[in-house]
Amino acid sequence: MVELEAASADDLPDLCEKLLANPLIEDYEILELSA
Amino acid sequence: MVFGILQFPGSCDERDALAACERVADARLIWHEETDLDGVDAVVVPGGFSYGDYLRAGAIARFAPAMEAVARFATEGGPVLGICNGFQVLCEAGLLPGALLPNEALRFHFRQAGLEVAGGCDWTAGIDPGERLSIPTKHMSGRFFAPDDELDRLEANGQVVLRYASGSNPNGSLRDIAGVANEAGNVMGLMPHPEHAVDALTGSTDGLRLFAAVASRSPAAA
Repeated sequence: MVELEAASADDLPDLCEKLLANPLIEDYEILELSA
Repeated sequence: MVFGILQFPGSCDERDALAACERVADARLIWHEETDLDGVDAVVVPGGFSYGDYLRAGAIARFAPAMEAVARFATEGGPVLGICNGFQVLCEAGLLPGALLPNEALRFHFRQAGLEVAGGCDWTAGIDPGERLSIPTKHMSGRFFAPDDELDRLEANGQVVLRYASGSNPNGSLRDIAGVANEAGNVMGLMPHPEHAVDALTGSTDGLRLFAAVASRSPAAA
């Protein structure tokens, strides 16, 4: 699990696909935590 | 003819790669922050643990300034070789197909490997398909993976360049794949370490053939 703060949740899929996960070999799920 | 060998924080085989290249041509190291390859004729992305292999092996190194230059160089047809961690970096960068997963046994593996040349590219020029090479392997995440349809396509295109010899697949790589090339044949990645097989003293000089292949095809060698 990777916890991070982002200005907008809209940025997260791009961040996952380009860095945090390799979609060829990894699945990912985004969970928003309330402050 | 000048080889450029990338050096990231965490690289550990760049000196051996440099020494291997210097047996057949001139060579120099390229620090990861460099943005200009400064006239090198071929690039080697060496093994090791670039940026500590955080997230995934090669995931952070692909964003290094030097890798942007390598991507441009590869797109223009320049020869690029990724060895072990370098192979992982090139896959993460999208310069090579597939991905490298942890070894099937989930253990670090170190062994002299028998390899069979399965296809041709710039780095295997002059080595006939079917020839056998003996080159050491040492890695934790070397299990080549691509979806079945992608594997079929790679095989149909002749992009599977090296396979582990029958019965010697050390990591569970699909279809015994040890090395692949891009469609143009100028970019190759392999998990075995040719830079460690350049002197008879250490058991094999088969690895030197890859570096010699590119050195002999360089316009500077003509």
